[in-house]
Amino acid sequence: MMFRKRLLGWLADAALILYFLFALFPIAWMVILSLKPTNELFSTYFSFSPTLDGYRTVLGDSEGIPFVRFFVNSLVVSLGAVALSLIVGLPAAYASARWRFKGSENLMFTLLSFRFAPELTVIIPLFVLYQKLGLFDTYVGMVWVLQLVTLPLIVWIMRSYFADLTPELEQAALLDGYTRKQAFVRVALPLVKPGVAAVSLLAFIFAWNNFVFPLILTSNEAQTVTVGALSFLGGDRPKYNLTAAAALVSVVPPLLLALTIQRYLVRGLSFGAVKS
Amino acid sequence: MIRLSGVRKTYGKVTALDDLELDVREGEFFCLLGPSGAGKTTTLKTVAGLETPDAGTVELDGRDMRGVEPYDRGVAMCFESYALYPHKSAYDNLASPLRSPRHRLPAAQARERIGEIAELLGISALLDRPVGRLSNGQRQRVALGRVLVRPARAFLLDEPLSHLDAKLRQQMRAELKAIGAVRRTTTLYVTHDSVEALALGDRIGVIRDGRIVQTGTREEIWYRPYDTEVARAFGRPRINLLPGTIAADGGFRSADGEVELPIRAEAAPGTQVLIGVRPRDLTLGESSGHELAGTVYVTEVLGRSVEVTVRLGEQHVSLVAPRGDTAGLRPDDPVRLSVRPENLLLFEADRPERPGRRIGQ
Repeated sequence: MMFRKRLLGWLADAALILYFLFALFPIAWMVILSLKPTNELFSTYFSFSPTLDGYRTVLGDSEGIPFVRFFVNSLVVSLGAVALSLIVGLPAAYASARWRFKGSENLMFTLLSFRFAPELTVIIPLFVLYQKLGLFDTYVGMVWVLQLVTLPLIVWIMRSYFADLTPELEQAALLDGYTRKQAFVRVALPLVKPGVAAVSLLAFIFAWNNFVFPLILTSNEAQTVTVGALSFLGGDRPKYNLTAAAALVSVVPPLLLALTIQRYLVRGLSFGAVKS
Repeated sequence: MIRLSGVRKTYGKVTALDDLELDVREGEFFCLLGPSGAGKTTTLKTVAGLETPDAGTVELDGRDMRGVEPYDRGVAMCFESYALYPHKSAYDNLASPLRSPRHRLPAAQARERIGEIAELLGISALLDRPVGRLSNGQRQRVALGRVLVRPARAFLLDEPLSHLDAKLRQQMRAELKAIGAVRRTTTLYVTHDSVEALALGDRIGVIRDGRIVQTGTREEIWYRPYDTEVARAFGRPRINLLPGTIAADGGFRSADGEVELPIRAEAAPGTQVLIGVRPRDLTLGESSGHELAGTVYVTEVLGRSVEVTVRLGEQHVSLVAPRGDTAGLRPDDPVRLSVRPENLLLFEADRPERPGRRIGQ
């Protein structure tokens, strides 16, 4: 009996380690690739003379590809998209959690449906519109189009946070002499702070990782890292080491963000699930 | 002054308030008493403007409150759930009304006012604590403090003492009405505890299924209850209700024929009735009034007095007697009881659809 239990434990550990190797292998491969010099790219697997040249090239803007600008673009566009979504989405989420009005459920469902359709179905008309409106390859255009990604996420998740909050707290604020807007800002909003932190991070990652919109709706000025990293594959010889280095550099901001707000995350992501 | 007339409120198929009529006079302490689900909290929230009635009008100081926002009604409410701001300290919770645009006080004055209220409620030592680190009883007092700290046209209190321990509750019950702000301000107080209602209410309203069944002073509610359920709600031990009929001579005869009481009732002979007498109105031994004979069933000491349950034929009645009068009483001992005629209440028999109404005395 004891033996069987222990054996099961070992098997579970072994399975987890296997899965761990399987999941981490692509990342390990990328790290190895990014450290290879260009001439050893296709000739070796694990033995090579490691060099940081790949990173130097990528961050030094040599090869004629302005990667640092792409990186800054990604930051501006993703942060901008999240900020706009928060400004618009928090009141929307609150209103939809607190009040039923005619068509409110349809409105919410429409918002969610933006996430059902593949982005590719709307990209051609958007491309034409953006060309005509002068939004093509601009920050404003990118922040705007990323609302399709970030806004539904923020509204729907924050809606359930607000719904979990007893309305009596805001009612108490109303009777204390505050208006509905003040009750929202002073009472409801501070109480969902962990949720805002969690959902902002999630929305930031979604915006940062988005590929199709910058691929079609930007060319150079507002291009982001997801598309920019591929530029190294063009030309006569694809430089996989540079792409790998660029990809690894572009993982840093979401990772840093996740680490800074980590203490909110657990609380935030389990908020709705656990009854106090 | 608070007046509700013809107020209806439904949630889907559930009727919370059904043509509710309520009239609380200026400066009065009015207790709304009813079981849970009777519509007490909905009534308070309707007065506060947090719920909009489907029909009927709410008036405060003679002004129709239709369309008036809660923050413009000038009422303060203590929620049963406390509704304290969990991210703030006890002090900041108490300060909340005094920092709002409508009740703002300069910080120094506010601090003084909060100090007074905290002193009054015995929470001075807790002011720095976050609300999460207070016990339920302490939270309830902070919630009460948040109501008392600012001037109001009316106080709406939803079971504000329910979570205090017995000793503190008794003490607060005694003190609550003595608080100056409460004495001066019209107060609508909701409770399910009849002792609390009798102790506090200048007048009492009994609410059941979204309707006010009876409104009156404690004497009116006690001596002239509207129906058997109101009679049962007040007084412990509960009122004795003996089933029987009106005999040909107009008197009362119990179902088993063992108890007969001459009464003056304007009910037709043969009517099914209940006769009610409160345990404290039954006297052990002979004295003036109607006499009844029975045997002791059980006795229970309640402290200085004793509850004696007496078997009268097939029914049991309880009475409360001073301890000295019950010395030596054993089960099955024969006893004589007497009751003064004015202490008898006559009700129709209870029916499945409604409790029996009082028809005599």
